Amino acid sequence: MRRTPVYIICSPRPAVGKTLIARALTEFLVLQRGKVIAFDINLREPSLLNYLPRITETAAISDTFGQMALMDRLIVNDNVPKVVDLGFHAFDDFFKMIAEIGFMKEADRRGVDPIVLFIPDRDRASIVAWTMLRETFPNAAIVPVENEHVLWGELPAAFGRVRPFRVAALPAFLKSIIGRLNFSFTHYLRDNKDQSSELHQWVRTNYTRFRELELNLILHKLG
Amino acid sequence: MAKPAVIVVGADKGGVGKTTVSRTVLDYFNANNIPTRAFDTESPRGTLMRFHPDITQIVDVTSTSDQMKIFDTLNSSGTSVTVIDVRAGLLSPTLAALRDIGFLDAARSGQITFAVFHILGPSIASLDEIAETANFMDGAKYFLVKNFINNTSFFEWDQATYNSYFHRIKNATEITIPKLNEMAYEQVEVASVPFLKFVANKGTKDEPANYSFVLRGYVRHWLGNVWGEFDRIKLTEIVGSKDKSNTSRAPTSEI
Repeated sequence: MRRTPVYIICSPRPAVGKTLIARALTEFLVLQRGKVIAFDINLREPSLLNYLPRITETAAISDTFGQMALMDRLIVNDNVPKVVDLGFHAFDDFFKMIAEIGFMKEADRRGVDPIVLFIPDRDRASIVAWTMLRETFPNAAIVPVENEHVLWGELPAAFGRVRPFRVAALPAFLKSIIGRLNFSFTHYLRDNKDQSSELHQWVRTNYTRFRELELNLILHKLG
Repeated sequence: MAKPAVIVVGADKGGVGKTTVSRTVLDYFNANNIPTRAFDTESPRGTLMRFHPDITQIVDVTSTSDQMKIFDTLNSSGTSVTVIDVRAGLLSPTLAALRDIGFLDAARSGQITFAVFHILGPSIASLDEIAETANFMDGAKYFLVKNFINNTSFFEWDQATYNSYFHRIKNATEITIPKLNEMAYEQVEVASVPFLKFVANKGTKDEPANYSFVLRGYVRHWLGNVWGEFDRIKLTEIVGSKDKSNTSRAPTSEI
């Protein structure tokens, strides 16, 4: 049976582009697989739920009921990819909880592939959190996201040993376009005929990189 | 065959988690492949019996016939370890009965391994219980169990007073049972299965169950910590398990 990917988009820092990447990834997966379930664990940030309300559910991890409602679904190998947009407020509690309940190991046993997309900025908190994740989950797929708009340069040396997932910066006027609640990356690819436009290329490049990321993880597992 | 070992789990106060600790001990021996039988003195109901029906009998430890059922069969039962879950208020009378039948003398002379898990409650009365129980502990392994599973804060205790009781008893060892997520604890209660089966997602008759992954994870983590305490006090060595280097395997979802 095909394994089910669970993408966890996270950062210990606010305003680094988590929801943007979660949106793009969710739309890509809808295009690729037809069905996706997204979970929004944002308390105070711009929310994935606002952009993709039909396929996004809110989730809370502050109590056991909420943890069960979320994790008991993430652990199921149902061939429906899951995307978790994890707000920075919930970062520590979420990873503490999944370490305690043994999520990574059980997921592997059940045919579920958790993939952590970690978006750092230049703050020390990012490096501390990255180190914590690597130490707590040494065998997990944890990929740093080099969001050019946040870093304005290469990843700090602490992230150097892992190949990052790169996201190019967009000019401010294009950012304002993709920031509209009714903007869809996939619809834009389909409807906009000018394939040379910067936004068209940006979306296409990201979709290609999502596909490469998935392939690399499959090859890594096979190897 | 290893010499018989008897573990008494008790407290004179109710509701401090005696049966919970007994259940973790039975799961620990099960995971370490040490044949064990249990006696539940909560007659006629038997909470321990509900979780471990295959190896548990309900007895009235104050009656002579049931004392014979327990202690006259230590060598012939086919199991090396006997766990007795003593109901509230019966710890001191039970120890007195053991003294009267010569059991404590046998333990003192090394014919039998005897250990007491004394579960402490938050009230100052528990400290008086320690003093009372300690009179019987010559020749026994005495463990004072601070049970935090139901979020006990031991608020009434003055640490200096506790230490004065604790240090008065030769060879007493302290064990800490950490807190378990309330909902996870409740779910195991509802399922009426050993903690180990709950972690393995199995029902009373080993049939596949559908417990929450999150709750199973919390129980697994907690049980691992409890067993860590049992490893620390070398419980398998105390009961005479041959493989002294063996430490318990972590609770796993695959049993």
